[in-house]
Amino acid sequence: MIEVANIYKRYHGLHGGDWVLKDVSFSIPPATSVGVLGRNGAGKSTLLRMLAGMDSPDKGTIQRNCRVSWPIGLGGGFQSNMTGRQNVKFVARVNGGESDMERIIAFVQDFAEIGRAFDQPLATYSSGMKSRLAFGLSLAFEFDVYLSDEATSVGDAAFRDKATEAFRSRMGKSSIVMVSHSTGILQDLCQAGLWLHQGKAYWFDALDDAITAYHKSIGK
Amino acid sequence: MTIEVNRSSWQVTLDVWRAMFLREIVSRISADRLGWVWLLIEPVLHIVLFVAIRQLMGRVRFIPGAEFVPWFVVGMMGFFLFRQAITRSMGAINGNKALFAYRQVQPLDAVLVRCFIEGLLKTLVLLLIVGGATVLEYHILPHDLLGVILIWGFIWLLGTSIGIVLSVLNTVMPETEKVVGLIMLPLYFLSGVMVPIQFLPHALHPYLLLNPITHGIESLRHQFFEHYQTIAGIDLMYMGQWTLCCFFLGLLLHLRYRIRLIAK
Repeated sequence: MIEVANIYKRYHGLHGGDWVLKDVSFSIPPATSVGVLGRNGAGKSTLLRMLAGMDSPDKGTIQRNCRVSWPIGLGGGFQSNMTGRQNVKFVARVNGGESDMERIIAFVQDFAEIGRAFDQPLATYSSGMKSRLAFGLSLAFEFDVYLSDEATSVGDAAFRDKATEAFRSRMGKSSIVMVSHSTGILQDLCQAGLWLHQGKAYWFDALDDAITAYHKSIGK
Repeated sequence: MTIEVNRSSWQVTLDVWRAMFLREIVSRISADRLGWVWLLIEPVLHIVLFVAIRQLMGRVRFIPGAEFVPWFVVGMMGFFLFRQAITRSMGAINGNKALFAYRQVQPLDAVLVRCFIEGLLKTLVLLLIVGGATVLEYHILPHDLLGVILIWGFIWLLGTSIGIVLSVLNTVMPETEKVVGLIMLPLYFLSGVMVPIQFLPHALHPYLLLNPITHGIESLRHQFFEHYQTIAGIDLMYMGQWTLCCFFLGLLLHLRYRIRLIAK
């Protein structure tokens, strides 16, 4: 269960702008996967980062009564001069998986299927390889809620099938909060939808309604 | 799955430090081709250069109670320990930004782990240089080993505390690094590393003693050389006060700017 109550968020400083999120409230029931929709700059990533505890709202509260993953995305979480293996080891240690290292490494290697690149520095990875590694790595840990910020968008069809399969097998135990512009994968994985529009968030119990609302807003 | 889910806060911090330590030491030592050899070459070159300059200038000054080369080596290593803790701290947060995606990793962890590694490396280098100088028959073996360890630790703590403060300042205001870089060179000469503070005008001493690292360096030399005569007014308590004040100020800044530090 994640409870978001009346949060406001804006970016301060020289280039700070208007409110990104303004009086947003919603709650995500346990084991419900949510697709987050909204146009570029609507605050989807900001919201996800706040759910992950990497950023805090200017006003309002976010309660997480469950284990939430880090935001699985293209940018963050990996040190580019370290190899895939070193990155995996680092994350395993930080999450207290030292004693379980072999299983975690085996799992990630198996899920990511990037072969020998696993021992190459991250700087040499393509974005698809990075997202495979990032997804595999987060799935090696048991979270109640996984946060995914466009991590699936660069994957190929085989990878999408794999990610879908992994979440299907965890249905009921874990859920995912997913930001994506490709409605296909959202429909595969999510039941509910959250549409961010002009600083507000609209909750839909059915994802399809959210997609319709989103499409209407962008005139499609 | 056997991953422990409910770790205590301490356990989480220790796990993070362990992971960061392994990560940092690998990248520190395998960063470039010279790698860890450079750690030793840099101070040795520095010593050779400055001793040579001094010989060329022909100003063989008498240091009361110590030979010049051991005296210089001890002071320089003390200063390097201090300087390195500060400069490495300033890059710690930007250098680890990607890792703050994991809630467990705090900016302070990155700074502390880096300082710890620098302390460790500098201690190794000090041992090697003291060993090397002893083989070359300089009188550099410490007169009071425990005292040396203690003061060495104090200097490290001073550098770390100032480093914690500057790590925040440098991330919030990137200009800090330039200013600190500019200050370090005059600080080197005013701290009595190369130019004996005893020979600077007496009227300047009260001002020179405002600089906390001078107290550390002179105390360190005093522990190394039994008959070393330093100037009046060297006070470890003063350095301790600087350390404590900077440490808590640094923690305060880390709390205050936590989100600014982890945000992109």
